[in-house]
Amino acid sequence: MKRIEINNPDYPQLLKQIPSAPKELYYKGSWDNSLFENCLAVVGARRITSYGRQITQRLVSEMASAGLTIVSGFMYGVDATAHKAALDAGGKTIAVMPCGIDMVHPAHQEKLYNEILENKGLIISEFEGSSPPALWTYPKRNKIVAGLSKAVMVMEAASKSGALITAKCAQEYGRGLFAAPGPITSSLSEGTLGLIKKGAIMVTIAKDILDYYGLASSLLTAGSKQFLDLSKLEEEIMAKLKQESISIDDLSRLLGIAVSETGTTLSLMQLKGRLFEEGGKYYVS
Amino acid sequence: MLVKVSSVSNSGLETIGVDVEVNVASRGLPVFEIVGLPSKAVDESKERVRTAIFNSEFEFPSRRVIVNLAPADVPKEGSCYDLPIAVGVLALTMNYQLPDESIFFGELSLDGRLRHTKGTLLVSLFAKEKRIKNVFVPKASANEAAIVKGVNVYAIESLNELLLYLSGEIKLEPVKYREIKYNQPVEKSEFDMAEILGQEQAKRAMEISASGGHNLFMVGAPGSGKTMLARALPGILPLLTEDESLEVTKIYSASGRIPPEGSLIRTRSFRSPHHTISQVGLIGGGTRPQPGEVSLAHRGVLFLDEFNEFTRGVIEVLRQPVEDGSVGISRSRGRVSYPSRFMLIASSNPCPCGYLYHPKKECTCTQREIEKYTQRISGPILDRIDIHIRMSIVDIKELSESEQVIKMQEPSSKIRERVIRARRLQEKRFSKDNIHTNAEMKNKHIKKYCYLSKEIRQVLIQAGISFQLSARSYFKIIKISRTIADLDGLSDITLSHIAEALQYRPKAQIERGL
Repeated sequence: MKRIEINNPDYPQLLKQIPSAPKELYYKGSWDNSLFENCLAVVGARRITSYGRQITQRLVSEMASAGLTIVSGFMYGVDATAHKAALDAGGKTIAVMPCGIDMVHPAHQEKLYNEILENKGLIISEFEGSSPPALWTYPKRNKIVAGLSKAVMVMEAASKSGALITAKCAQEYGRGLFAAPGPITSSLSEGTLGLIKKGAIMVTIAKDILDYYGLASSLLTAGSKQFLDLSKLEEEIMAKLKQESISIDDLSRLLGIAVSETGTTLSLMQLKGRLFEEGGKYYVS
Repeated sequence: MLVKVSSVSNSGLETIGVDVEVNVASRGLPVFEIVGLPSKAVDESKERVRTAIFNSEFEFPSRRVIVNLAPADVPKEGSCYDLPIAVGVLALTMNYQLPDESIFFGELSLDGRLRHTKGTLLVSLFAKEKRIKNVFVPKASANEAAIVKGVNVYAIESLNELLLYLSGEIKLEPVKYREIKYNQPVEKSEFDMAEILGQEQAKRAMEISASGGHNLFMVGAPGSGKTMLARALPGILPLLTEDESLEVTKIYSASGRIPPEGSLIRTRSFRSPHHTISQVGLIGGGTRPQPGEVSLAHRGVLFLDEFNEFTRGVIEVLRQPVEDGSVGISRSRGRVSYPSRFMLIASSNPCPCGYLYHPKKECTCTQREIEKYTQRISGPILDRIDIHIRMSIVDIKELSESEQVIKMQEPSSKIRERVIRARRLQEKRFSKDNIHTNAEMKNKHIKKYCYLSKEIRQVLIQAGISFQLSARSYFKIIKISRTIADLDGLSDITLSHIAEALQYRPKAQIERGL
């Protein structure tokens, strides 16, 4: 357990700006100022749906690999999914605890807890020792989550959700507020859709947020340089497929190269969104 | 007068020692009884032993002869106690000494000769483990027993010969192991890969599958060459390694599938049961549990043609053997476990009529029918299959005239060389992990042996999104790319390996369940 005080120059600048910022923070892991450069808070419901899990993994993994630090509250549900997705993508993550720094809460997530520490992440809390979480500690935790971040993204939230408190903090502090839309039939969309109605920015792709941070996606998505540049072989394949749709076997025969190499190229071109496959044949998209 | 002869009892692949106690009483009415839970075959041994002794021109005592097979509470099966019983009876009537540290095992013929008996390999393995020096088995089964080094295996032709030896009138030398021709490496399988025109990607998938031991599922219209391709697979598989060979031979020996004079099995077996097979036929079973197709295919190939036509129950029972590499069979008579580490090669039509995605013919199936058809194979089974490929009809006439095709055809022998090289790398890598192939890797092995750079991880994430891969598929892709890297002889997985591996991901139309 280590401690950092508010007058320490290493204390996160963004957090310092918020009203009644915590005087001191306890943390575990190694403090690295670069962690706090581009923080994004990802918050949402505990009772996550499979849809919520899907969109959280999808958006967070791309954002984390682009260099954002994912900040969340280590609760099960959206929080844990976000931490895990960031780690799986080889990205950075910070968990802000509602309890004393020496306590793992919820205890069954100890594996995730250790994984965060092993992968150069941070565990932060305003509270020392092993004081248990209480009703009043959660809002304080949410303040830190919002305070550390340039923007807050709400994934799935019911109409009365702790995530909405974090969202409110973000607005108060003048930080960006994003929300992912969900089905209008789901009670776990009420909160997020309400935020969008009131002016939060709707997120459907990672680019929505990365643009806000001025970062480019590291993936081969549309518009990136890698997407526009095609190798000579890829150009040839495009030319052939524009004439007619062809199976991989025919294509490698036409090009006179091994089927393994053709397969490699076709997979990458599919990932770039240039081709799609149906019933064994490839088409230009 | 009492004499004890050592023998063994085989149950599944396990062997326990059995003491055959023979007592010839000096009083009481003449009877010949066997006690100690004998089965029908053991009980009938009485007639064989008595007749064989007469026909060998010895005297069978007309006194009270009681044979006890100890331990008396273990059921005894088979005809292998003929020899120890006869040896015991003769030792008492003819009054000679039995050699120390010797196991007798074998079935008698009525004329006093010894017949080929199953399980002699297990007998000498048992002898080696228990440090018993000598094993006396029928001549026809001696070569199989002689595989085990460090045990003196005596090949006995008849009771007469054995008695001459025991009384010191002739000398016998322990037999030496000979490799037998019929079991020699089969260089050729039914088809050579070069005979299959086109289907380059499917052939490449077979090569990867053979290298890493990956299960493979092919979907294609009738006539696209699925069966032919599968039958060409043995031609690109490497021979069994020494350990593997012993494992396989044990199963075949225990179930009496080694022919007389047989030796170690060196080639990988290729089993292709018909789709009407029962669960017991596939997994093994029976009152005396016999190995099923999954165990006979151990370290080889289990080819299930027309996978969707197998009954649902039969397909589902494959889960455990595929996952664990062994199968436990429990019956009222006891429980045995057989290994079942095989490559599953399955093939199926894309729909009931077979012509979905056919370039020329129209598919006549309704959406509902196609769904019902593909749903016969459950998600858990598909999940255990690494490589998924789709095969389309080729125009044979056009292909056979194309020079480009001819140029790209590779004979099986050439592909096999690459497979052997890739397997060698794996043997080396996993020498301390108790697994043989990439397909057997668990998460901890993947972490240890499949380092992925940041760039590659990003592509995988992207692929996860674009192709909607499940977490399991994600690991399958990594395993396949490990094998592709091995085929390239590289220690690190590169982007192109991952990209190629993505070609073999499960495709949506087939894999609805995930």
